[in-house]
Amino acid sequence: MSDPAVQRIGPGAYIVSIGGRREIVHVALDGATQWAHVRGEVFRLTADDHGSQRQASTSPAARELGVLPITAPMPAKVLKVMAVAGAAVKKGETLVILEAMKMELPLRASADGVIVAVHCREGELVQPDAVLVELS
Amino acid sequence: MIRRLLIANRGEIAVRIIRACRELDIETVAVYSDADAGAAHTVAADQAVPIGPAAAKDSYLAIPSLMSAARATGADAVHPGYGFLSENAGFARACEEAGLVFVGPPSAVMARMGSKIEARRTMEAAGVPVVPGMVPDDQTDEGIRRAIAQIGYPALIKATSGGGGKGMREVTSLSEADASIQAARREAQQAFGNGTLFVERLIHHPFHVEVQIFADAHGHAIHVFERECSVQRRHQKVIEESPSPHLTPALRERITRAAVQAAIASGYRNAGTCEFLVDLSAGDADTAPFYFLEMNTRLQVEHAVTELVAGVDLVRAQLLVASGEPLPWTQAALSQRGHAIEARVYAEDPRQGFLPQAGRLLRYREPRLPGVRIDSGVREADAISVYYDPMIAKVIAHAETRALAIARLREALQAFPILGITTNIPFLLQLLAHDRFTRAEIDTGFLDRHVDEFAPPDQTALLPFARAAIDAEARQGSSTVGSRADAGQADPWQQLTGWRMA
Repeated sequence: MSDPAVQRIGPGAYIVSIGGRREIVHVALDGATQWAHVRGEVFRLTADDHGSQRQASTSPAARELGVLPITAPMPAKVLKVMAVAGAAVKKGETLVILEAMKMELPLRASADGVIVAVHCREGELVQPDAVLVELS
Repeated sequence: MIRRLLIANRGEIAVRIIRACRELDIETVAVYSDADAGAAHTVAADQAVPIGPAAAKDSYLAIPSLMSAARATGADAVHPGYGFLSENAGFARACEEAGLVFVGPPSAVMARMGSKIEARRTMEAAGVPVVPGMVPDDQTDEGIRRAIAQIGYPALIKATSGGGGKGMREVTSLSEADASIQAARREAQQAFGNGTLFVERLIHHPFHVEVQIFADAHGHAIHVFERECSVQRRHQKVIEESPSPHLTPALRERITRAAVQAAIASGYRNAGTCEFLVDLSAGDADTAPFYFLEMNTRLQVEHAVTELVAGVDLVRAQLLVASGEPLPWTQAALSQRGHAIEARVYAEDPRQGFLPQAGRLLRYREPRLPGVRIDSGVREADAISVYYDPMIAKVIAHAETRALAIARLREALQAFPILGITTNIPFLLQLLAHDRFTRAEIDTGFLDRHVDEFAPPDQTALLPFARAAIDAEARQGSSTVGSRADAGQADPWQQLTGWRMA
């Protein structure tokens, strides 16, 4: 395969030619998240894939201690917090219920463990990747 | 004629209504919640009024806030759009009592059609076929069991005050009847505070065909043909088209006649939709049975399909009829020309059980193609919030035949870059290319039964193209991605959003 030939045709828009095939690609860089659109397919890559730094959602210290973060998958309102710091939980147990777009979204323990910390309150709005509960 | 219209809605439908008002020289008042300050519909209108906090119940559903916005701006009419308060008879009545023209049917008609039992009774009396069923007077287990035996298996038990599948049970044999009856009653009691049950025949693998109806205050009631809406996921329509590939001329004649009868029997006025279930299991479409499902007393999301195939402007007609004018078309003047098909683009992730997504539209470039219309209410750099419906845009294609319209819709979806938020476009492309879809064999339950067949495609062949462009963009050092300044630049890919007809 030949090297890609890349031509910029507008803000965030490129024509990429590789081995005789030519595609229009739209891209957007958002911090460590890199988005690209080719022919109706969307790629969501992280800067990691290109060798640069990836943002960590937990501190390195926490990771060494084996702490599992339970994070918000999307911007949402915290409807109910069941998790209590210090409590032992079983895998699959509901820790927090989020509400987004008129839908309830339960967040469950990804493993058996003990709740180390609870970082959200009922009624609070949370952003994607925010750590809501830490589980050890 | 209406002079100043308040649009009690947001997003693409608000923008769509504003466009029609422009053509009729009607002034427009947009309303917005705190989450929608500066949104496309507020910019498109002549003026925009804040109506409350982001949560819909405190803004777009708050009747007192909307009424005071109408008073404060001197509006003489209100268009409810779809969703929110569009089928709330209390809102229609509040408008009537305040002397405002409500762009829709009279509140009494809305209230009658909003009750499942009353709508059914009205249709039966008018000779419109309804799914065989009854509310047994004897509500004991024994009484419900007798009703099931009378209607025949398989049967469906439903809560009379129900919705959303709660208090609903399928009964396929006598042995499971008692357990299902008790479970349905318990659920109905818990969810709606009313355990009254309704028994009806279960139609296996039905097709959803709806008829656009329109009536004015001068005694005219007509239909604007059908829309096929069987491609649904959890009762949420995904693809809509017209003509329906399932209707023969004879069946179309029967079903549209029934819809007009329904409009007349209910005393209908303005635009509405009669939804039917069509049972094609017996084979002969000419004589296939169909059943009235419900009447939607408002404009539908999928109204654009009808507009393209019949060459009419339904919103303009709504405004004329609400102003007391006669319908702008006769039945004889209307025909279906070619084929129109719509796909709803949602902010949702098909790889995660269609979980709704929120975030910012870092790139959003609507394609401009012949025969393609895009209705949307967002622009590049806008946020999709968690508060409202996750629909981003509707893409509608019109062509000579169904196959050509499908090809055109696929082309449009492939040329529609949306980055920053995951959308269902890859799923829509899979669906449009699926054999069962191209052969028009998808009934209302198909997607829920076969969701695995629409697994994400293999992307590896296109990945090097994505990587090369990302590397180039990173070298370019674009720090203004998704900013207003970027979006406002003169750029052939960035056009004003909104309603276009090709």
